[in-house]
Amino acid sequence: MIVLAFLVQALRIAVPYLFAAAGGVLCERSGVIALTLEGWMLTGAFSATLGSYYSGSAWAGLVCGVAGGLLAASLHALATVRYRADQVVVGIAANLLAVGATRFFLRLAFDSSSNSPRVSGFDWFAAVSGGGTSDGASLLSSLANPLVLLGMLSLPFVSWLLNGTPFGLRVRAVGERPDAAVSVGIHVGRVRWLAVLGAGALASLGGSYLALEQHQFTDSMTAGRGFIALAAVIFGNWEPRRVAVACALFAIAETLQIQLQGLQLIPSQFVEMIPYLLTIIALAGVVGRSVSPAALGRQVD
Amino acid sequence: MRIPHFLSAFAAALALACTGDRSKDADASTTFRVALLTPGPITDHSWNAGAYSGLLEIRDSLGAEISHIQTKTPAEFEENFREYGKRGYSLIFGHGFEFQDAVRRVAPLFPKSVYVVTSSQLAGPNFAGIRFAFEEPAYIAGMIAASVSRTGVIGLLGGTELPPVHAGFTAFRDGVRRVRPESRILVSFVGNWDDASAAKEQALAQIAQGADVIFQNADAAGLGVFQAAREKTGVVVIGSNSDQNGVAPDVVLGSVVIDLPRAYLTVARVIRDGRFTGSVFELGAASEVVRYVANPAMPGRVPHAAQVTADSVWQAFVNGSFHLDPDEATRETSR
Repeated sequence: MIVLAFLVQALRIAVPYLFAAAGGVLCERSGVIALTLEGWMLTGAFSATLGSYYSGSAWAGLVCGVAGGLLAASLHALATVRYRADQVVVGIAANLLAVGATRFFLRLAFDSSSNSPRVSGFDWFAAVSGGGTSDGASLLSSLANPLVLLGMLSLPFVSWLLNGTPFGLRVRAVGERPDAAVSVGIHVGRVRWLAVLGAGALASLGGSYLALEQHQFTDSMTAGRGFIALAAVIFGNWEPRRVAVACALFAIAETLQIQLQGLQLIPSQFVEMIPYLLTIIALAGVVGRSVSPAALGRQVD
Repeated sequence: MRIPHFLSAFAAALALACTGDRSKDADASTTFRVALLTPGPITDHSWNAGAYSGLLEIRDSLGAEISHIQTKTPAEFEENFREYGKRGYSLIFGHGFEFQDAVRRVAPLFPKSVYVVTSSQLAGPNFAGIRFAFEEPAYIAGMIAASVSRTGVIGLLGGTELPPVHAGFTAFRDGVRRVRPESRILVSFVGNWDDASAAKEQALAQIAQGADVIFQNADAAGLGVFQAAREKTGVVVIGSNSDQNGVAPDVVLGSVVIDLPRAYLTVARVIRDGRFTGSVFELGAASEVVRYVANPAMPGRVPHAAQVTADSVWQAFVNGSFHLDPDEATRETSR
């Protein structure tokens, strides 16, 4: 039962990573650096909160969250694909913009710069089970959240999209050999646009999950998860299956950190280092050289 | 980086020029002028909002002329302290520990102004810190938590392991042990002050270990603790710093409160009346600045006898017959 509780907690922590990393794989395989995952997540979290607050329905919130992510991603695509701006610079700027814009609208909508009021989320199972504390109930209530199921499906979906569809073939072509893609009549810009929009939608689902689980938006609530997801993409060598393993690893490390604090054997500062330490060790030793998509960050005329 | 710095300094100067213009004509020796520097926005419903409403109270109760500026970098702290000093403000607040180095450098240059830093032990001829005896109401909260808990397991959840958080947790634990020496106490830290999701997971882990009362001191991240308690039946939370009883009335047992407006008013009165002696403002139970506030929406939860004992210990804090050992307060929490 302890193992089960541990795995359920790791799963809950992994969901935002899985969504964002799925978006990251899609975006980067098309040759656009996914530095803005964090910003898309945050935008998604905020718009999901707005939607859920004004409609009273978590599903409407989810739709708004994705719409917010698409909007943020289209800004990104406009700058990097249409106007060929430097992708790293745009990525950094877009992240800062997301933090500032969500705070600004938070204040405008709810007169607070720290958090929104309570909104509805996907908690119908918790209501049915009466909030039981048993691990079985906690497992079921975690799985009953549609976003957890979607999250588990996000990387397999991207894998199928990339490897099993004509669109995926084009994405890979555009990310590896854009010149060759152009020569066979593929519109590079259009493919990249779609990939960036898809990434924005996926990442915003991760953000929506955070906000709806919390039943409110809090300022900068994604807390760097987009960057961890990006690390998972690189760590997983841009292969959906390996990226999923990387996300799981980060989530397990974080769960381990939480559980170890409870034992109170090691000072908290050391325990908090575990996920990051693991990242560095994994990146330096286990993976070896990761090979990025050949045209990543390269502009195409 | 040059341009933003220049711009922010310019904006600060401009703001000062705007607020200061009218007072130039007024006789600086008769007008009591008070300025406040906050490290964040005053709409945060918490730390900075508390300071700002303190400033407003100083204006309304003491007829002071007030000015506020939001600052971010240490360079801005110093710049603005200097500006206010030059303009002859009588009292200048820096709202937080982080302002103390800037005050130490600037205050000696403007001996006619008094600089006050919140949450600091600083003291000098024209500058001082305010120390909140947060551990006194935290001790009371611990006693109450112990009397309410069914499992005898109590969780403490903080943002990062800062000395004031530590001191509050130690006092809380001593309060718990006074009532139930055999109780188990779990301590964890989120690692930051704004990741509500991570705080929620920490709280769920404590609940899984049997905790049914959680004392949180994690600012915005603490909102995640309320959410965790909502999802599990029979778990209550004690809030920190501001009155959080209204934030989650269904799960909050009470709050350990620092009444910032009252603290600001208390300090401003001392300065205005010329009673400032150059020592730290110690604001404890007697000042009514710190206290434990039970959640009115959760009546009858605390056993009557336990409430009576807690009240009598509080009275002992107020009249000074009971002290917490300051060495105790700095002792390791995680034991």
